Order: sequence, then C-alpha cells, then structure tokens
Amino acid sequence: MKTVLVAGLGEVGIRAARQLIDTPGVDRVIVAARRLEHSREVAAALHDGAEPYRLGRDDALPAELDAVVAALPGDADAALARRAVGAGIPYASAADRDATLRSLLALDIEAQSRDTRVVVGCGLAPGLTDVLARHAVGALDAVDELHVARWGVAGSESVAEARRTQREEAREWREGELVHEKHRHGELIWFPDPVGARECELVATGVELLVAANPGAGRVTARLGVPPVKRFTPPGRRDPGLGWGAVRVEAWGWRGTARTSVVYGVIERTAVAAGTVLGVTGALLCGALPGLEGAPGSGAFGLGAVVEPVPFLAELARRGVKAAAFEGVAVA
Amino acid sequence: MKAFQRGVLVASIAVAVSVVVKVRSKGPVPPTSGGWRELQGPDFR
Repeated sequence: MKTVLVAGLGEVGIRAARQLIDTPGVDRVIVAARRLEHSREVAAALHDGAEPYRLGRDDALPAELDAVVAALPGDADAALARRAVGAGIPYASAADRDATLRSLLALDIEAQSRDTRVVVGCGLAPGLTDVLARHAVGALDAVDELHVARWGVAGSESVAEARRTQREEAREWREGELVHEKHRHGELIWFPDPVGARECELVATGVELLVAANPGAGRVTARLGVPPVKRFTPPGRRDPGLGWGAVRVEAWGWRGTARTSVVYGVIERTAVAAGTVLGVTGALLCGALPGLEGAPGSGAFGLGAVVEPVPFLAELARRGVKAAAFEGVAVA
Repeated sequence: MKAFQRGVLVASIAVAVSVVVKVRSKGPVPPTSGGWRELQGPDFR
C-alpha cells in the first residue's frame, strides 16, 4: 500500500494532491496543513479522495509513509525535509529559492546514510526546465550553452518568493565557475503564445542544479519574469498572457560539425504545471511510476538528475502538461 | 507667466502623445521566425 503525504496546501500543493489521487499506483494520499480545519476543507474539495492531517512543527509525521511532497515556504520546507530524511522517507520539494534549494541539497549525506532521496526543485523552474534541459541536451552531440527562463507565479506566496529571488544576487555559470552577475540584464524571452515575449531578469535559482545535471555546458543562465499586478487595464488592452505560466529552455551546441540550437517550451497555468510536476515526482518516489526513474540511488538531487526525460515528459503530457519545440531560426 | 503656460502646454501634449503611442503600439517584434510544435513520437522530439 503506497501512502504519500502532501504538505503545504496552497495552489501547488492542492494540484499535486489531485495528481497523486489520480495515480493508480498510489493508494492513500494525506493532505497536511498547520490547521486541521484547512486540511479538512482541502480533503473535502478533493471529493474525500484524501485524508486530512494537522502537521505543525512539533506534530509527528503520519505512520507508514512512502513519500512526502511539499509545497511549503523556505524554512518550513527544510525543517520538514530534515524530519522526513531522519525517518528514511523520500522527499520531493517544489521550492524555487536558491537558499532553500541549498539547505535541501545539504541533506545529501544524511539522505545517503538513511538510504533515501531528497529531490529538490520539483516545480516549473527549477523542475520542468531541468527535465526539458536534459531532453534538449540529449538531442545534441555536445552542448556549450544552456539558457532557461520562466514566466509566471502560482499564487500570492509564490509572487513574494519570486520577488525575493529577483532581489537576490544574480549568478550564472561561465566556463567552470559560478559568476556573480552585477547587471540583471532584463531580456525579452519568447515563450509560446499567448504568453509571447516577456522581459525576464537573470537570477541565481536553479543554475547549480542545471550544471550538476548537464556538466558539459560551459555557460548556464536562468531567468525569471514576474507578471505585474495591474489595478487598471485600458479597455481592449487586456493582457491574455497574464494568467499563464510558461517556461523556455534553449540549448546551444554541436550536431556533427554544425552549431545548432534546440528550444523547448511549455505553457500552462503555473500552479497546474508545478503541481503536476510535484505530484508525478511524488508518485515516482513512492514507487508508483517506476518507468520514469533515471538513476536510482540515495542522496539529494535536482529533478533533472533523477528522472528519465522522455517517459517523464510523456507522463506529464498524458496529464495535460504538454511540451513544445520551437521550429525556426533562434538568435543566440 | 506666459513661458510657464507654454511649458505646461508642451508637457501636456508630450504626455498625450506618449499615452496614444503606448496604447496603440503592437508590442515588440520577435527576433526569430518560426513557430511552436507539440512534442510527439517515441523520442518525444
């Protein structure tokens, strides 16, 4: 009997729970929040396919868990991950801030000693971008540049996290070292319609995960665009891309003797895409989706390092999160 | 006083023109040509 705990019942957590309930190999889904009343409301909204549970900082984890998936703010995420790893339970996190990713990756040695896994960055970016990046790199004989970008946020807490990320130091990977980039270089990135062209700033989040999963890339950058909060929109000027989330992954390298690029993108409601990635990762960690696993082993990793890109993307597509390739002439 | 009024008039015209340009603009032109195609097939390419 496979049991998965979903911690953090915001927009992403609820979608992850929905995905887990819809996975045939998962028998029991427990939805946990600090307030029991909130978890009861969510369980009821999921048509009682999930069990409510109160999970404060001092409350014990439910018994006989096969995996924990979390969509929590930074500190709470790391604290719960430590408890799960201490109990030998696999853990997947949708965290998207650099500091949180580092504190989760720091559990690597303990996870190895407990023979369990921590998979970090299981959202839109980092997360889906890491899987698309590996897929894009797999289409090239050699990769030299990797650029990922995300547009969109999944709720008010996600807006705050994204704004904090943009205020933090921007870093990029350049020829074997992480370089602090003083200028954020807001750049227009072309996502699939209806998002289209959006200005995205250079950020540090997820760069190290991309480097770890694609060691051949000489230059790696990550960008983030946050939709503006508009109080007034002139008639006829409504932005059709505002409610959407999108990612774009661009890999440059060599195929034979020709330098070429591979560009992948995804468009979906941000919370739906992030929740689906988190839910599928949770199902994978509890053993309900064994075909998606790339390199089994214990420790702490980014999503791109643990999954097999093709079956993972196919599973996401089956659940409605579909990737697309750009066909045309990209400009470096 | 006349110079001040003239300045206010020029500034007002500039604001009005910039609002019209902003509202009527078509947005940026893509630096690429091509389109997006859903990934398909056994290799998902």
